[in-house]
Amino acid sequence: MAPSDLELVDRARGGDPEAFRELVVRHQRRVYAVALGIVKDRDLAWDVSQEAFLRVHQHLGEFRDESSFSTWIHRITARVAIDVLRKERPSRRSDLADVPETVLQEAAPGVLATALGTDPQETVLRRELSGCLTDALRQLPDVHRTILVLREMDGLSYEELAERLGIPRGTVMSRLFHARKKMQALLTRYAGIDAPGSGERS
Amino acid sequence: MKCAGAAPLLGSRPGELDPVEDALLSAHLSTCDGCRARQADQEAVARVLEDGLLLEAARRDFTGFADGVLARIPASAWRGAAPTGPMERLREFLRRHRILAVASALAPALAALALYLYIGQTTGPGPSELAIEVTSEDLAAVVLETSDGPVILVGEGSDGT
Repeated sequence: MAPSDLELVDRARGGDPEAFRELVVRHQRRVYAVALGIVKDRDLAWDVSQEAFLRVHQHLGEFRDESSFSTWIHRITARVAIDVLRKERPSRRSDLADVPETVLQEAAPGVLATALGTDPQETVLRRELSGCLTDALRQLPDVHRTILVLREMDGLSYEELAERLGIPRGTVMSRLFHARKKMQALLTRYAGIDAPGSGERS
Repeated sequence: MKCAGAAPLLGSRPGELDPVEDALLSAHLSTCDGCRARQADQEAVARVLEDGLLLEAARRDFTGFADGVLARIPASAWRGAAPTGPMERLREFLRRHRILAVASALAPALAALALYLYIGQTTGPGPSELAIEVTSEDLAAVVLETSDGPVILVGEGSDGT
């Protein structure tokens, strides 16, 4: 039976490089996915992932067994990725590459969800959209891309997002809504789907 | 609550909203098709986001990734790895002091051997039990005659005292 993450962490803390290698291999793809979601560049995501594992090794002694190792490592990854983003673009406004208003207006409520369906099995459309997701992510402003990945990949709560990003809880909620709305608009355009909007009140 | 107020609350997880927000959102969703559709979209985006990023990661060749990480960890970091838990500290101590570990594992056997040899070398009879046995309803005692003189062992009474 394969050793658990905790067993490998124990062995790595004791100075066993092979145990740490096993941890890296076990988590490298999801760590890379989190990094890619935030920095959006494949090579930069690779570097961020390696740096994240180095920090994990440096701080193994601080890991508390009661928390999930994967959660801990993804949060370290997100922190490294955000630091890299800030260093890469210190003087640029983060929303320069905002999604055009015309794209937003194309996204009628419910169209994307209806097209994708609720079947948990992978549909052709879902697979196609997954394939072009990184292109769509590149078009999102940094702040929206980051908050989406922290929420959906790292599973951060509103409170954790507020603390991590240094913004009020209300801003977290509205920023998340706008980030998803933009993503929805881009994905709808990629998928080439359109339908009359659902009824709404205001 | 109107749609503009409900929109930021869509996509919340159970327990994340305060009770007032939760009640207002539920009431609004029960009557607004548009916001129910928006909520479904938000959930669809979350699914596609995770699927897409994991698909991209699955396509990437990770050959050499782990080697690259380990190559950047200085050897001194492995030597200085500090164990934290008590069992881990014990394991680490024993790993570093193998002679002590072997000795501690053999200690009971060595002690038994020494005792056996000592008894074998003594010529006289060993401690003989009982010169006097004292008993009463609640107390039992045995007197051993030893080379240091009599030793009285007081045992439990029949009622367990």
